[in-house]
Amino acid sequence: MAYAWQGKLEKLDDFRWKIPQSYKSGMKVPGIIYANEKLLPEILNDKAPEQVANTAFLPGIVKYSLAMPDIHWGYGFSIGGVAATDPKDNGVISPGGVGYDINCGVRLVRSDLTLNDLKPRLETLVNALFNNIPSGVGSSGNIKVSAREEKEIFLKGAAWAVKKGYGLEEDLEFTEDRGFMEGADPSIVSKRAYERGADQSGTLGSGNHFLEIQVIDEIYDEVKANSFDLFKGQVTMMIHSGSRGLGYQICDDYVKGMVSCLDKYGINVPDRQLACAPLDSPEGRGYLAAMKCAANYAWANRQCLMHLARNVFEKIFNKSHSSMGLKLVYDVAHNIAKMEKHRTNRGERVLCVHRKGATRAFPPGHADLPEAYKETGQPVIIPGDMGRCSYVLAGAPASMEETFGSTCHGAGRRLSRSGAIKTCAGRQIDKELFNKSGIIVRAKARGTLAEEAPEAYKDVNEVVDVVHGAGLSLKVARMRPLGVIKG
Amino acid sequence: MKPFEIIDHTADAGIKVQGATLTELFENAAKGMFAVIAGEGYKAQGTKVEKKITVKENRDDIESVLVSWLSELLYLFNREKIYLDSFRILSLNNNGIEAEAGGVNIDLYQSDLYREIKAVTFHNLKIQENEEGFNCVIIFDL
Repeated sequence: MAYAWQGKLEKLDDFRWKIPQSYKSGMKVPGIIYANEKLLPEILNDKAPEQVANTAFLPGIVKYSLAMPDIHWGYGFSIGGVAATDPKDNGVISPGGVGYDINCGVRLVRSDLTLNDLKPRLETLVNALFNNIPSGVGSSGNIKVSAREEKEIFLKGAAWAVKKGYGLEEDLEFTEDRGFMEGADPSIVSKRAYERGADQSGTLGSGNHFLEIQVIDEIYDEVKANSFDLFKGQVTMMIHSGSRGLGYQICDDYVKGMVSCLDKYGINVPDRQLACAPLDSPEGRGYLAAMKCAANYAWANRQCLMHLARNVFEKIFNKSHSSMGLKLVYDVAHNIAKMEKHRTNRGERVLCVHRKGATRAFPPGHADLPEAYKETGQPVIIPGDMGRCSYVLAGAPASMEETFGSTCHGAGRRLSRSGAIKTCAGRQIDKELFNKSGIIVRAKARGTLAEEAPEAYKDVNEVVDVVHGAGLSLKVARMRPLGVIKG
Repeated sequence: MKPFEIIDHTADAGIKVQGATLTELFENAAKGMFAVIAGEGYKAQGTKVEKKITVKENRDDIESVLVSWLSELLYLFNREKIYLDSFRILSLNNNGIEAEAGGVNIDLYQSDLYREIKAVTFHNLKIQENEEGFNCVIIFDL
């Protein structure tokens, strides 16, 4: 079979494939794709490997241009791409390496409820969540803020929400970076970005964003599951959303500016969407400070969404959320750039790690982990599709050695949207999911269902097997969906 | 010559656009973008609105003007909830564009629209000229 990818690909072992630096003149490092034999054919038929090679052009890139097993064709970077750049080696920051939905991410909430507790009220709960959590294209919510308050969100992130009463202090402990990045500068955020962010806190959005009620159906590591407070038969809730229109606008503002930086700084990249600027330049520093505003906004947004969902649980079960044990397990960012300490050939360096559809996966003992997870490693939340399953993994040592503390972020698409619509023509995906698996799905628009059908995604089980096998992050628990709300 | 064609992209969406002149290419790109949002043949109902659009780039770069033009229309859609379906370009060069656009105010919440274009990207964007006119492929982040 002839693949779209005609370049060389060296098999290093069962989980690692190398694109040699010689593939394209201008690559500064080789590419590494994490995949197995089952996932590889679809990856090679996509344009993503070319994007892995293109990302290797970035000035100051360290070791490899990396791709996780959920890799697929994006714009500029592939989705599932990881690249670390060294500011001391003219390293750059690229807004396209973060994406428009800055700090798109996932949080997992556990509960004391079991499947039996939930079953009689599942449909009522899903309907109430659907009616109370704003979703859909351009959705706006009831949490409207003034420009002054928006500044506070940019500076304080999830802590702003907690201060407003949308959650508990302990929620912050279980959010990556405690739900805020230091160094955000609200003064450089455009008026348009402010406008777009003003009424979208506590809104889910559309497309692949969702809120899902799940049950744990498999535990792989009892000790770690116990530390994460998870057990078989337990009801959990997963929330996937990001920085909404605010993040899109900030990225848009800066990509345009950085296209001009390519000439200014003499940077050669094969795709203008890889536009970038040196970390140590006014443009690079400006983007990072603006990106942090959006990252903090996204953490506040997911905190608000969790608060709205907890309220719905309280109404339906007529109990306080604390008495149902609705606690945050962890919140992870999967579209972000972070300055982090990593070991390189030149010793320990502070690098800019771009994660474009990749999740941080810090191993046991890492200084940035909350006390409760010091021995287990960081919980890594991996959503699958709405028909199969999702996972909780734990960060593992190989991530620090190989992938700058990163792992996969989800199942990854395999069909284009029109491909999915063609595949699902004449089918009613929500009815199918209900009849086959009892999954209750509510979506603002019918079209979303076909585009987001399980077939549109790779098998998350395969994706997770690769990162587990490669030792980047290890399986702890698997959840299957019970109810899903989408935009 | 087809004004635009929606093309497959694994995660996002794209349009292949053609035009006998640059002006036509820009008008067709705008129509193509709204077809990605709402589907081809969508007829929006509502109060008619006219908008004047001015984009100044001063980068001497036609692709930057194209991205900014579409981003501006997308902004009007997202913020002012205007579905635009007619475009008249008054002036266009490598540094900017002036145009009039017509459409209708729509209630996004009540509408059945579900495709949110997050942004217009520069991914492999290159306006090319041949004997029939101009063409390019534009990828949107969904």
